[in-house]
Amino acid sequence: MTEEALQDIYLNNFHKNNNAKFVPFAGYHMPINYKSGIINEHIHVRTHSGLFDVSHMGQILIPLTNVNILALEVYIPLDIKLLQPNKCHYSFILNSHGGVVDDIMLSKIKIEAKEFIYIVYNASRKKVLNEIFKKTIVNYKIIQDRCLIALQGPDSFSVISSILNLSSSMKFLDIEILEYENTKVFISRSGYTGEDGFEISILDNIAENFVQKIIQNKNTILCGLGCRDSLRMEAGLSLYGNELNEDINPIQAGLSWALDKSRLKDKNLNCFQALSEEINTSQSIKRIGISPVNKSMLRAHMTLHNENNEEIGKITSGCYSPILKKSIAIGYINKTLDMSEKLFVKIRDKLEEIQIEKIPFVKKNYKKGD
Amino acid sequence: MSEKKYTEEHEWVKLEGDTAIVGITDHAQESLGDIVFVDLPAVGKEVKAKEELCVIESVKAASDIYSPLDGEVLEVNENLSNDASIVNQDAENEGWIFKLKVSDIAQVNNLMTLDQYKEFLDK
Repeated sequence: MTEEALQDIYLNNFHKNNNAKFVPFAGYHMPINYKSGIINEHIHVRTHSGLFDVSHMGQILIPLTNVNILALEVYIPLDIKLLQPNKCHYSFILNSHGGVVDDIMLSKIKIEAKEFIYIVYNASRKKVLNEIFKKTIVNYKIIQDRCLIALQGPDSFSVISSILNLSSSMKFLDIEILEYENTKVFISRSGYTGEDGFEISILDNIAENFVQKIIQNKNTILCGLGCRDSLRMEAGLSLYGNELNEDINPIQAGLSWALDKSRLKDKNLNCFQALSEEINTSQSIKRIGISPVNKSMLRAHMTLHNENNEEIGKITSGCYSPILKKSIAIGYINKTLDMSEKLFVKIRDKLEEIQIEKIPFVKKNYKKGD
Repeated sequence: MSEKKYTEEHEWVKLEGDTAIVGITDHAQESLGDIVFVDLPAVGKEVKAKEELCVIESVKAASDIYSPLDGEVLEVNENLSNDASIVNQDAENEGWIFKLKVSDIAQVNNLMTLDQYKEFLDK
């Protein structure tokens, strides 16, 4: 963490007035939870709907030109020209050995007849990415006058439909540009909880009015980063800085589904060689899901061991799962491990037995097409 | 029954003869948030004041619980193994964590009164 002063997000006072507890996160002063607490917020998202302010995240609009496409495709393993418009694509910014510089959501959208590439990226990676954008692409606009609001949970569609004119055919990962109070909002059916839901990019000056309207609905409560983390872990979603970093490639992270395989033969992708080798050979490490055999809590950085007490991996994220009512964790182990052996985690110098769990830990509930 | 005493590590202590009942304060449970697991100490364990004795896990993080006094663990609150959230609901009564057989009662004078603890929190 840098020593620079923390920044406030645009609706900081609104959150204060709603009794948010704040924590420093990626250089921002962010709500971690509100009065009812993390577990209650978590369960509310799985059963009704919760509103998250994720305005700390980076948003950028890049004119869809050949020059920009070629420049981005050096780092991004997608065939941007062939991508369907109005669809979000989970992808990465990769370094020359295939390590993840950031994980992103990318879409092609049209605003007033002009085509753009719209990317949402992590707050913790803004500096690094903005530097890459500066070096490579032209005429882009880093968005600094919009909030990013996520509404997540099974009631999200009915809640948002009472405010925005959504098309009922909108599916998971679709993105639309809609009018609200004579302004444009970018709304995608996406999120970071494993539930149906939406992410809405909305101009700062009407964001509070919009958020107030949403939370007037009795099925919606305000939710903070605390339950966002336990929700994404139950859904088996990676967090940059935990599961992902510049020394881990998407294949090791269990995310090869997000790579456009044709790009791995394309010399314009800076890491095409490293990644095509990784995909063809056995991977050195592998992502796993685990839970404790007893009631212990698993946390990031705890080491994993085999029966002979040899260190064979590490936990990258761990939490209490309010749905499974026990601790769950994601980590990496050496690929060569004999999976019939018992596995252990070191907690405060004691080895405790763990078991392998399927990822996701809790079934995803997206609104998929037929 | 004596009045409760408090530590800078946000534990409360209630003396009954030479037995001290120990838990975390209401302020502590409030700032920890949802408590999901208490790693209770072993009965019979001997400890010194300010030594780490057990760990309390909230959804957010693990926090050490220190022994407020020298002594030996007499009893632990087994109810917390089934439902750690008792600490959130009633930190200063039903949510007690362990009982100590105190070896030096005079040490109690090093602990804070309620008024002193409140002042400490305001700092």
